[in-house]
Amino acid sequence: MKRRLLLSLVLCALMVDAWAATPEIEIEIKDHLFYPDVVIVPAETKVKLRIRNLDPTPEEFESYELNREKVIAGHSETVVFIGPLVAGEYPFFGEFFPKTAQGKVVVE
Amino acid sequence: MLLNAVILILQETLEAAFLISVLAVVCFMQRMKFTWLLCGLLAGTLFASVYAINLQTVSEWFDYVGQEVVNASLQGAMAILMALFFAVLPRPQATLADAAAPSRIRKSSLAMWIAAAIVMLAITREGSEIFLYLGGLVQQEEHVQAVLMGGGLGFGIGLSIGFLLFYGLLGLPPLWSWRAAGCLLALFAGIMLSQAVMQLTQADWLPATQPIWDSSAWLSEHTVLGQLLYALLGFEATPSRWFVLAYLLGFAVVIAVIAWRRPLQVIGENQAGGPESCGPLLSRL
Repeated sequence: MKRRLLLSLVLCALMVDAWAATPEIEIEIKDHLFYPDVVIVPAETKVKLRIRNLDPTPEEFESYELNREKVIAGHSETVVFIGPLVAGEYPFFGEFFPKTAQGKVVVE
Repeated sequence: MLLNAVILILQETLEAAFLISVLAVVCFMQRMKFTWLLCGLLAGTLFASVYAINLQTVSEWFDYVGQEVVNASLQGAMAILMALFFAVLPRPQATLADAAAPSRIRKSSLAMWIAAAIVMLAITREGSEIFLYLGGLVQQEEHVQAVLMGGGLGFGIGLSIGFLLFYGLLGLPPLWSWRAAGCLLALFAGIMLSQAVMQLTQADWLPATQPIWDSSAWLSEHTVLGQLLYALLGFEATPSRWFVLAYLLGFAVVIAVIAWRRPLQVIGENQAGGPESCGPLLSRL
């Protein structure tokens, strides 16, 4: 029983460690623009993008290259996981305001 | 803004219109009533508005990946229901007495309600995005006219393409109508399952893998053709291994169920279903 408990604790610790090890990058949407509009992330690493929509209007974070799409309600925040990716540039855009909301993830 | 509204609403409408048209072809040829379509549309619209209103709360579930989990559940459920739909679809009647048999009527009714559930889930998924987009933008005075006009235009084009597909499929020889509709609905199941996998990968509930090919150099998702293929076939220029496997699995399972039930060939031979029999359609609505 004790052994099982110890094993569970070790597994939990590893899971927390793995979760904590995921780098987090913040992106803000303001006036239908991404800040920053260039996000630099390390190659072969999973990254957590925390996107805050400061506009009252909703926006959809979308990237064909990253295979990601997610709607973000106005005045709210969300999380999108990307990677591990190979080095290169991965454009993303706001589908609701694509003329202005443009950005890219640069993997180095 | 006008053009963007047209494109955005058209994309969402197209995906739902393709599904409903093809499903309607199968039900039409099975001589089912169209009550299911109305029920699915109404319930879907209601759930879509509820989902759109509560999107922020849903998004915060499971440490901000609730939206992915809900979407993946909707898509997974649609794929499973599609297989069930073909599994319970009654075999064509050999005689008129068989057609009126209680078991056949029961099965037909069950298939009808499964079709309604599929439509409801599809409208919930696609409609919520439309509601959110329109709801958010009509509050901005400078955008109202362009968004409503563009949205109406996109919706109208999507709906027209849906009707074209419906009558186009019914215009084929009956056997081919069945084959095409069966294949398209099997593809739909594949698309739903692969999109569910993509959503769970985005939520970090499934491991991310490198794309197994990159076709963006000759056909990009940024092009009109790429977008159309995305809506019709779930095209991805850089799919992952899990995405392709889920796509093939969804497609293969539904095709296997259709082959197991074997309704296509027999119905194609025994029943009318060509354009000449489209007349009673309105009376069934």
